[in-house]
Amino acid sequence: MKILIVEDEIELLIAISNYLIKENYTCELADTFTKAHEKVSIFEYDIILLDITLPDGNGIELLKIIRKYNVKAGVIIISAKNSLDDKTGGLDLGADDYMTKPFQLSELNSRIRAILRRRQFGGTEVVTFNEISVFTESKSVKINETKIFFTKKEYDLLLYFIINKNRVLTKEAIAEHLWNDNIELADNFDFIYTHLNNIRRKIKNAGGADYINTLYGMGYKFSER
Amino acid sequence: MKFLTKINRNYFLMLSLLIVMISFAGYFILKTVIFGQTKESLLEKAFLIKKQISETGKIPSLYPLIEVTETVKTSELNPALNEVFIREEGENEQESYTEYSEVISVGTKYYLVKIRQANVESEDLIMAIAIPLLVLMVFTFGFSGFITKKMNQTIWADFESNLSKLENFTFENRAGLQLKNTNIHEFDRLNDVVTRLTKKLNQDYDSLKEFSENASHEIQTPLSIALLNLEEIIQQDLPEVTFKKIVSSINALKRLSRLNENLILITKIENNQFPAGETINFTKLFRNKVEDFEPLIRSVKIEIIWNIENDFYLKINSQLADVIINNLLSNAINHNLDSGFIRFDSSLDKLVLSNPGPPVNFSDDKIFDRFVKGNSKSFGLGLSIVKKICGVNGIVISYSFGEFHSFTLSRKS
Repeated sequence: MKILIVEDEIELLIAISNYLIKENYTCELADTFTKAHEKVSIFEYDIILLDITLPDGNGIELLKIIRKYNVKAGVIIISAKNSLDDKTGGLDLGADDYMTKPFQLSELNSRIRAILRRRQFGGTEVVTFNEISVFTESKSVKINETKIFFTKKEYDLLLYFIINKNRVLTKEAIAEHLWNDNIELADNFDFIYTHLNNIRRKIKNAGGADYINTLYGMGYKFSER
Repeated sequence: MKFLTKINRNYFLMLSLLIVMISFAGYFILKTVIFGQTKESLLEKAFLIKKQISETGKIPSLYPLIEVTETVKTSELNPALNEVFIREEGENEQESYTEYSEVISVGTKYYLVKIRQANVESEDLIMAIAIPLLVLMVFTFGFSGFITKKMNQTIWADFESNLSKLENFTFENRAGLQLKNTNIHEFDRLNDVVTRLTKKLNQDYDSLKEFSENASHEIQTPLSIALLNLEEIIQQDLPEVTFKKIVSSINALKRLSRLNENLILITKIENNQFPAGETINFTKLFRNKVEDFEPLIRSVKIEIIWNIENDFYLKINSQLADVIINNLLSNAINHNLDSGFIRFDSSLDKLVLSNPGPPVNFSDDKIFDRFVKGNSKSFGLGLSIVKKICGVNGIVISYSFGEFHSFTLSRKS
């Protein structure tokens, strides 16, 4: 999968690309409007991460150009401005998603995967981890070929874990993923513990192993022991 | 007070004062003139009486106007003018007279002659002066009132129209501020000044807006870099102490970023940068939100009680409505008791959200102030944002603590 990252802040550009390369994506970088313009008019990308504020142009203008040449590409706008105008404007112009800085890399990965799923697999991807299979179209989960019922939040959480497997996720990152903008409401993180216990219990009852590792009470990691 | 009312009032006061002064002066002048006339006519009469007595020997008598009595003494009584009061037969009141008395000698006889003339009564005099002046005053005012009203419609019309343009001035819709030329020097000067000031204001507003947007961008970018790097660091195998320190740094940076977002939100609300609203069913919105947060609410064992008489509606931007709901709900959850509850009382004209909890350690009216917080780890901005949003949208939010903490949303009457 080929990703173009358009971001004027070099350090951010490098941090994002290092992470995505580790997640087995091919990355190309552009730190100006001109470079990005050149790239999108020549190459094809699966995903384009687009910063709105660029030194020599506006990301929204770039989005119009992208939609002309790169119809297939999924576009995620990355903006420091949590402004509704940009958000609705961007989504209206054909962006697939909108993320506000600062964001978590694990969250970025989840969003990229969701867009790829929608755009390239027609939403029918099956995400598997050993005996666990998550069917994204029907939002259902099978463990050892047995269908197990998960609530909406439990399903979200399990998918998030599998997509970000082998990665340390803090409680706050998980809460943010589950509640988005309503994070202030989720001041109390106890409910995550409840969700995790439910997931563990359901997997175990279906004969699965416990892949959720707790890290010093502050984070979790979904991996084989 | 209107400009014209003020002018008219001053005019009225000045004119009244003038009229009172004129009345006093007139009264005294008239009185002096009348007294002079009276004196002259009395002397004249005295001379005639003297002439009649010496020529005919007849003693005239016309009480109380003419009174002549024989007398013996001559030297003691000099001619004199006095004011005397005499009660006439059949009348109750004493009348005031000016009396001239003189002793005259006719042959060997001496007569004391007293001649009197009735005075004009002071009341009559005052009335004679006051009534015409009063009539004059009433006419003057009526006329000037009529004139100013007419002038108001013509001369002030342009001024009024400019004023209403200024009243409707907002930063969202400022393209249309074109002040009309009035052809009156003072008003046109004012227009010039106002036009210059609004131009300056617009520039300041734009640069402030740009600044706050830039500030937000500039702060979030380094925060993002720090957070991404820290997120990568915790992926390594770390000793517990290090891991915990880094996670707490991540959380602190996130708090900083959220604080920044909230302050920017407040600025945007203050600047009225949210487009106009639509009518929103708050009762339904609260219901949806509670549903979304059902797992969270359940995990803290809070019961939700609905007491819905009618759905409560408010006209507001939907994004801001969401902020109000989020902040009020999180406030009710975070400051609740163990196994507490949140009650919604919804009716046509208000929505009340109550929850039990320990009393706050500051006065009730401070609850909406910035950075005032109870025992929560929040910034103390949530309720101040709610208050701000309500303020610019004509919504009343009030807090009371009786048995429970209660927040009431209602429309401004």
